Amino acid sequence: MLLEASKVSKAFGEFLAVRGADLNVGEGEIIGLIGPNGAGKSTFFNCLAGETMPTTGKIVFAGQDVTQALPEVRARAGIGRTFQVPTTFEDMSVLHNVMVGAFLRHPHRNDAREHARRIVELTGLAPDRAARSLGTPGRKRLEIARVLATEPRLLLLDESLAGLTPTELQDAIALVRRIHGMGITIVIVEHIMEVIMTLTKRVLVFNQGHVIASGTPESVVREEAVIEAYLGRGHRRRRDRGQQNA
Amino acid sequence: MKPFLSSRVSVVLPAAALLLYPLILSGPFYLDIGVTFLLAAISASAWNIVGGYAGQVSVGHSMFFGIGAYMPLLVYTLWGWPPIAGIPIAIVLAIGLAVIVGMPTFRLTGHYFSMATIAVAELIRIFVGTWDLVGAAIGLQGPARARGWWDLTFRSEIPYYYIFLAVLGIVLLTTAMIERRRFGFYLRAIKASERAARSLGVPVRQTKLQALALSAAFTAVAGSLYVIKTGFIDPDSAFGILISVQMLIIAALGGAGTLFGPLVGALILIPLQTATNSLFGGGGSGLTYILYGGIIVFIARFEPGGLFELWQRVAPRLRKRLHAA
Repeated sequence: MLLEASKVSKAFGEFLAVRGADLNVGEGEIIGLIGPNGAGKSTFFNCLAGETMPTTGKIVFAGQDVTQALPEVRARAGIGRTFQVPTTFEDMSVLHNVMVGAFLRHPHRNDAREHARRIVELTGLAPDRAARSLGTPGRKRLEIARVLATEPRLLLLDESLAGLTPTELQDAIALVRRIHGMGITIVIVEHIMEVIMTLTKRVLVFNQGHVIASGTPESVVREEAVIEAYLGRGHRRRRDRGQQNA
Repeated sequence: MKPFLSSRVSVVLPAAALLLYPLILSGPFYLDIGVTFLLAAISASAWNIVGGYAGQVSVGHSMFFGIGAYMPLLVYTLWGWPPIAGIPIAIVLAIGLAVIVGMPTFRLTGHYFSMATIAVAELIRIFVGTWDLVGAAIGLQGPARARGWWDLTFRSEIPYYYIFLAVLGIVLLTTAMIERRRFGFYLRAIKASERAARSLGVPVRQTKLQALALSAAFTAVAGSLYVIKTGFIDPDSAFGILISVQMLIIAALGGAGTLFGPLVGALILIPLQTATNSLFGGGGSGLTYILYGGIIVFIARFEPGGLFELWQRVAPRLRKRLHAA
């Protein structure tokens, strides 16, 4: 297993945001985390990335216990992440943004620049463009490019495909596929079911801090608990109508 | 048509102007302005490393300036050493103090660092003002007459001018090297978003501490240069809050986080200050505060990036117009 998170809980005072969540990720997998707002998936995600330290539980990455490790230590170990609200380095160009990530494995400027150029090309961005001039899709793409430059083994994508137009979404899905094709394991938090159904082979559904279901996307969306907590009655009606028509 | 101000020309021209300044404007008044300008530019450029590039706004950099100012005269007073021998000691002490202040405050987010720097600088000022070994409130005095060249006591301002210019060159060269390397990229990333920088493996606390230590070392050198020229120091002129505020304002006015921003800031502020001082004399001492306040309002309201950024925005348009003409 590349990542083993066992019985992870996170409490904020009296409030228990994540309650004993387990997640095992094998090398080369793409796993989706879904659930309604406030279900605890982002907190769990932050526990994996090191932004938040779990109250209890254990996180092991590539055989190394990283439960209490800082985000920079996890990045060095090979865990990369993006943010729900893209946080680009506004005063820098696209290339320089990506170079910050590239410096992690390439301390010399020329090596870092060459590596960053390759990544920028892969993500289809203009290297000399100012980061502050990019729109939301560009910023999300830049964040992905920046974290890719750190050469992660595990990539945590936090709603990186939200807020895109249908065309942009298809491009972004293709990009995630290309990244996966490079041998990078991906855990993706997403509300867009199209993304989950298209990209992932396994899904965990969070509700009120618990993992209420896990399995293939097709099996998970049929579970009553998931429909009740997340997908809603509309989804059930559509499903029933589909079954009748069949 | 070539750009009317290429990057090479924009470096060579000011450098030549600075080199030739004492030969063209050789009167004592102008020389004094020149030396004051260089000292302000050194201090603000040193502040710029941590305050401008890393975005860690220190409002108590006078603590490093003061250490730098006191050490040369202390080694002279205690042991009769040439004041210049106090500079390396001052650098070591300033770095030590930077680590002591930075270690706990860089663990926290928010404005704790700024607040801590003000508090430490004020504490040191008050403490030094009551400490007999360093002359208490009266301060310390340097050699009245040079015992040799090593005392760096000159009648003319010209040697001071060129010594200060050389130090400014070293500070700018170091900053330019930092800008191009991983360290510089990390500083700018930290300024933009510590959270994002961390996620990319940037050792945020360590990088900030290194920036503060380097900035403190250069600020201490500025303090030493100041005292070697004036030959006298007291707690207020070494550790006073106005010293810290001046560094901050000069860098912010010209452009914090840019290589030449502090130079532009000093070029505007120092003649302005000199003008108000000579117009109003001692009675106009409060004007400095009004001037600083006005500049803060101006920068915050109209040009948060400073004048250097404004120039970078305007220059391409000017070039286009000239090209069209």
